[in-house]
Amino acid sequence: MLNFLKKDPILAIEDYDFTAFKQVLNTPAENIISDIKTADLKGRGGAGFPAGVKWELARKEKSAEKYVVCNADEGEPGTFKDRYLLENSPWQVLEGILISAYVIGAEKGYIYIRGEYVKPIKIFNKIIEKAEKKGLLGENILGSEFDFELELIRGAGAYICGDETSLLNSIEGQRPRSRIKPPYPIQSGLYGKPTLVNNVETLAAAVEIINQGVETYTALGTAESNGTKLISLSGEVNEPGVYEIEFGSLTIREIVEQLGKGIRNNGQLKFVVPGGVSTSILPQEKLDIPYSYEDIKAAGSNTGSGAMIVVSEENDLIDLMLNVAEFFMSETCGTCFPCREGIRQVCYLLENAKERGYLTQRDFELITDLSQTTYLAARCGLGQSSLNFVTSVLEHYRDELLQGGGQ
Amino acid sequence: MATALIDGQQVDFESGETILEAAEKVQIKIPTLCHAEDLSIYGGCRICVVEIEGERLLKPACATKISEGMKIKTHSPKVREVRRNIFELIVASHDISCRLNCLTCSRNQSCELREIAADIGANQTRFDPIDKGYDDDRSSVSIVREPNKCITCGRCIRKCEEVQGVGIFTMANRGPATVLTTFGDKGMGNVECTNCGQCIHACPTGALHEVYHYDRVWDMLKDEDKFVVVQTAPAVRVALAELFESKPGTIVTGQMVAGLKRLGFDRVFDTNFAADLTIMEEGTELIGRIEDGGPFPMFTSCSPGWIKYIEHFYPEYLENLSSCKSPQQMFGAVAKSYYAQQHGIDKEDMVVVSVMPCTAKKFESGRGEMDQDVDFVLTTRELGRMVKEAGIDLVNLAEEDYDPMMGESTGAGSIFGSSGGVMEAALRTAYELITEEELEELDFEPVRGAEGIKEAEVEIKGMTVKTAVASGLSNVGQLLEKIKNGEEYHFVEMMACPGGCIGGGGQPIPTNQETVEERMKAIYEIDAGKKKRKSHQNKEVQQLYEDYLGAPNSHLAHELLHTNYIKREI
Repeated sequence: MLNFLKKDPILAIEDYDFTAFKQVLNTPAENIISDIKTADLKGRGGAGFPAGVKWELARKEKSAEKYVVCNADEGEPGTFKDRYLLENSPWQVLEGILISAYVIGAEKGYIYIRGEYVKPIKIFNKIIEKAEKKGLLGENILGSEFDFELELIRGAGAYICGDETSLLNSIEGQRPRSRIKPPYPIQSGLYGKPTLVNNVETLAAAVEIINQGVETYTALGTAESNGTKLISLSGEVNEPGVYEIEFGSLTIREIVEQLGKGIRNNGQLKFVVPGGVSTSILPQEKLDIPYSYEDIKAAGSNTGSGAMIVVSEENDLIDLMLNVAEFFMSETCGTCFPCREGIRQVCYLLENAKERGYLTQRDFELITDLSQTTYLAARCGLGQSSLNFVTSVLEHYRDELLQGGGQ
Repeated sequence: MATALIDGQQVDFESGETILEAAEKVQIKIPTLCHAEDLSIYGGCRICVVEIEGERLLKPACATKISEGMKIKTHSPKVREVRRNIFELIVASHDISCRLNCLTCSRNQSCELREIAADIGANQTRFDPIDKGYDDDRSSVSIVREPNKCITCGRCIRKCEEVQGVGIFTMANRGPATVLTTFGDKGMGNVECTNCGQCIHACPTGALHEVYHYDRVWDMLKDEDKFVVVQTAPAVRVALAELFESKPGTIVTGQMVAGLKRLGFDRVFDTNFAADLTIMEEGTELIGRIEDGGPFPMFTSCSPGWIKYIEHFYPEYLENLSSCKSPQQMFGAVAKSYYAQQHGIDKEDMVVVSVMPCTAKKFESGRGEMDQDVDFVLTTRELGRMVKEAGIDLVNLAEEDYDPMMGESTGAGSIFGSSGGVMEAALRTAYELITEEELEELDFEPVRGAEGIKEAEVEIKGMTVKTAVASGLSNVGQLLEKIKNGEEYHFVEMMACPGGCIGGGGQPIPTNQETVEERMKAIYEIDAGKKKRKSHQNKEVQQLYEDYLGAPNSHLAHELLHTNYIKREI
C-alpha cells in the first residue's frame, strides 16, 4: 500500500528531521513555489484551488505583516483524514506550516483545530511547546533569519468555520460568517493583512512533494489529478477508515470493495457520496469511474474533502435527506436569506414528507426551486453546496420517492 | 473611465463602483433590502443578485464591483425567479398571519417588503409561515422591538454601530435560530440604548417602532375633567405633511395647529416658545461660565439621546453639560406652574402632551428629575395617525395660530430643529447680551448644513468664542475624542440624530439624507420669515420673567428649568 502521507505515527521530535524544511531554508522561495505549482497540488480541504498559485499570490502581496493559517477545522460530516494526520504526523503538519510561512514571508501563524478534536489539540499543544524549545518556532529558526510564531486556536463547534473567511472572523473573535469576496484572504485576511489559509492535508502533501521531488509526485495520478489523496471511507462498509490512494488507480466501486471490504451484513450498495455531504451522490451506475478530480466532476459530483460515505439499500431516502438538510440548517451562519430560510423550508417539506411516507409533485417543485435559488444566490460555499445531496437524491430516485420512500 | 454593459446599455464607471451604483446611472433599478446608502455593505438578503456573463453563480449587485467589459443582466428570467423565491422565503419567515397582520403594523404605509413585492412581481407565497414564537421586547420606554417581524437584515445593527457609534444590537445564534437581540438578551431598556430611534428608520419592516402613547392621549382628550395642552417641537411642522403625501420640507405650522385644535386639545402651544426660553437660560449660563472661566466646553442639553449617551459613555464630562432642561421639559415645568396658576387650573388636572420628532423624548419625560411635567410624548408619526384616525384633511386646513402665553416664538426658537440651530440661536442672544449692541448679520453660516461636525469662531467683544456642532452620535463621539485630546472649545452643540431633530427617530419614514436636507431648508425658511429672530425679543418669554421667574438663572428659574444628570453603567 502506498504511504505517501499515511505513515506510522512519529510523535517524538527526535525521530523527525524536517528535511524538507531545511531544504526550503536553503532554496529560493520562488523555486519552492514553482515546484508546488508544477506538482499541481490542489487544495485538499474541498475547494481544490491550486496551492502553488495561492502561495505565489500570497508571496507577491506587499505587507509588513502576513499570516498563515492551517485550517484543521475538519467539519464536513464523514471527513476524518485531517484528524489522522494531526494525530499521527503532527511534525509533518508543522513542517508544512513552517514551509508555507517561510515561502510567503509570514512571521505569525495559527492552527485552527476543530473543538471536538480533543486528542489532536492535546498533541498539537505539545508539538508547539516542544518545537519552541527545540528552536523550530521562535526567532532565528534553525539558525536562519526566519522568525515564526504559531498559535493554536480551538474551534467552538461551528461547521461554518471550515470556510476560510468565517474561520478568520472566528480567530478575530467576530461572529463566524463568511466575508464578501473579493478581497480574498490573500489580499486582506486576518486583521486585514494578507493571509494564506491551507488545509492540513495540503500542507502535509507539500512537505512530501519537496521531500520526494516533483517528478516522483507528478508520476503518480492522472492527467488532472496528480499524486495521492487521503480518503475518509465511512458508511456501511466492513472496514471504514482513512486510506491513501493514488489518483486514478481505483474506481469508486473498487474503493468500496477492495479497501472497504464491501457492504456490511452482505447488504446491497445503493449510492456513494464521494466528497462529503455537501457533494452530490453517485448512484450505482456511476461508480465504475476512476477516483480523480476530473472523473468525479464529469459524473456530476465533486471530490470535496475526500469523505466517501457508502450507503446501502437498507436506508430510507427521506430520512437521509432530512438528516443532511437538518445538519446544514443548524450550521448555516444565518446571514444570507436563501441559505438560512431556504434550507429551513426544505427541512420542513421533508419532515412532512417523512410523516406521509413519500414526496408529492409539489414537494419536488418547491425543493427544486429552493435548491436552485440557494445554489445560485447564497453568500458562501456552505449555502451554495448545502442542498447538493438532497437535489441529487431527488434527481436519481424520483420515482422511488414519489411512490413511497423506497418501500 | 471604463465601460461595461448592463442589460445591453453601455455604462461608464469609475473604478470601485458597484454594479448597483452603475445600474442606477442607466436608469435601472435593482431591488435591495439589506442595503442602505449610509451603511456598510452586508450582502445578506441576496434580493439584488444579478447574472454576470461567464459566472456560474449570481452575484449581489450591492457588493460586487463592476469591472471593464462585464456583461450584466439585472432582470434575466433566472434572476427574476431567484428573487421571487427569496421573497417567498422572507415572507414565510416574517410571520405574516392573522395575528400579526400587515394592516395593523406600524409600517402599514411604509413597508419595504411591500415595495419589493411590487418591484419583483411577486404573485404567490407557496411556503407556510413560520411561527418563530419570540416575545416582543417591551423593556424600553421609548422603543418596542417585535422580533417575529424581524428578517435579520442587520440594518439596525449597522445603523446603531456605524452611524450612532453605540452598538446595542447583535446577531445571536446560528441557523434558523439566528436572531437579532441586545447584549445578553437583556432588552433595549436595559442596555446602553440612547433611545434615539435611528434603528426604526433603518428597519425595512415593522420590527421596531416607538412605544405608542396615542391611545392614552385619546383617553385624556375624552376625559372632560382634564385640561389637555399640547406643545409642538420645531422639527414636526416641517415633516408632518410627509405623512399626508406632501413633499419633504412642506411647512404646515398653521394647519398642524388647526388640526390639534380639532383633535380636542384645550390649548395648543409651541415648544419653540420654550426654545426661546432655553436660550435665555442657557445663554445666561454660558455668559456666567465665560465670566467664571469655565468649565469649558459647555455642552448643550436639548437632545435626550445625547444626554443618555454622555451619561453612559463620557460621564467624566457631565459637569460640562448645561444644567438647562430641554425645551420640552422647560415647557412642561412652566405649563404646570406658571400657566396653571395664572388660569386657576389644578396641576393634577392638567395633562401636558408633546409632539416630538423624537423617541428619546419619551424616555426623557419619564426621568425622575422631570417630575412628570410632561405626561405623554407623541412622535410626529403618532400625531399623523391620530389626525388620520380623526378623518382630518390636515394639509388643506385653514391655518390657525398658537394659543397665547406660551405660543409665541422667534426665528431663533424655530431653528432648534436643525443641527447648528441651538448654537446659532444662542450666539444671536449671547452676542447682544454681552456687547449690548445689535447684531447685524444674524445668519451663522458655518454652523449650518448637514455635515456631521461643524466648527466656528465668533468674535464677541474682543473675545474669540470657539464653538463646535456635532450631530449623529458617532460624530458626537468623534468630537468628544477630539476634546479629550486637548481641543478647546467654549460652547458645543450636540444632537443625537444626524442633521439634528429634523432627522429624529420619531419623524416620518423615510428619514434619510434627502428628506433631512429638505426639512432643514424649511426650518431656515421659517426663521428667515420671522420678524423677530432673537430669543430675547420674545414678548411672552419676557412676560414670563416679569410675572413669574424674575430673571434668567434666578432661584425659581433654577428650580423649574434646570436639572442634573446621572452617571450610568456601560
